[in-house]
Amino acid sequence: MADLALLTWTFLWLSLLCVGGGLGVIPEMERQAVTVHGWLSAREFVDGYTLTQLTPGPNMLIAVFVGYRAHGLLGALLAGLAMFLPTSILAMVVSHHWQQWRTRRWAATAERALIPVGIGLMAGGVYTLARTAIHDGVTLALAGLTALAVATDRVPPVLAVLAAGTLGWLLSR
Amino acid sequence: MKRVSLLRLIAVFAWTGLSSLGGGRSAYFHDALVRRRGWLRNDEFVQDFTLSQVLPGPNFSNLAVALGYRLAGLAGGGWGLLAIVLPGALILVGVATLYLHGAFGPSTTLLMRGLSAAVVGLVLVTTLRIMRGSLRAGRGVVVAALTFLAVGPLRLPTVGVVLVMAAVSLALHWAGPPALPAKAPPGETC
Repeated sequence: MADLALLTWTFLWLSLLCVGGGLGVIPEMERQAVTVHGWLSAREFVDGYTLTQLTPGPNMLIAVFVGYRAHGLLGALLAGLAMFLPTSILAMVVSHHWQQWRTRRWAATAERALIPVGIGLMAGGVYTLARTAIHDGVTLALAGLTALAVATDRVPPVLAVLAAGTLGWLLSR
Repeated sequence: MKRVSLLRLIAVFAWTGLSSLGGGRSAYFHDALVRRRGWLRNDEFVQDFTLSQVLPGPNFSNLAVALGYRLAGLAGGGWGLLAIVLPGALILVGVATLYLHGAFGPSTTLLMRGLSAAVVGLVLVTTLRIMRGSLRAGRGVVVAALTFLAVGPLRLPTVGVVLVMAAVSLALHWAGPPALPAKAPPGETC
């Protein structure tokens, strides 16, 4: 019981550390889950993160994986709720007020001003992903092929990504 | 203020959540909501994206809440969240059960490498499309380029960068001449 409460509390405060992309919180989460509390092994943590990349949904479902390994279904549920619920309520509250403020002039200016910042963040995200994912000619070609396929607007993104992923898997076997 | 019915929203968000593989997942939302269905304008999407990055919490769920709220109010935010988190969580629990019984080998890692590389292509195209639709004034280009340099190559902490660049951008937009009503390129409006 005490450990379940500790699990919930840990993922609650970890969720607040996820700012600007989940990857930043991974080192601290690993330290807490593996070294401090011993909920799973370091190998299991890395494999769990890989699995969250391979399965649909947010990467931060890694919390559900850790909770499941530590305390079964109840652990998965509590870790998932701690990771997603409080911050989502905050996002809802801010969205709600923003809709009321946006008719005012300062808010309209703020919205316009935030757009280029958001675009810069997106471009930074592309760079960060590319730095870890593109490391040779094959991965570069896979990214290029996917970009071309998506740019035609004829292929749904998920199909293009799955096809390129499978191709990469076959090539590297 | 409801733009779409709750059922449509849940179906589209659940499908978007289920079909978003390999990271860079906001790109799938952009494709589903802006490109394919025209439920949102490009700039509205960028606003919600920025909000989801600035607020604490997993940004994919923050984005689902913000977009869901914009499309169908409080219920849209709540159901949007559930629709993107729950299916993936159930699948993960199933896959984790297999994994913990030793069902996977190193080939899983190889497949993931291919997927991650492919996703870079997808997010690149999405980012270019959003830029073409929303980035017009010269000051905006400067702000976007500096933000990119800071969080990309320079690897500065995102929170600090956003706070500083938001302040710079606000000052530029407040002091400068009012932006002309933007002409959206074809295919980018709702």
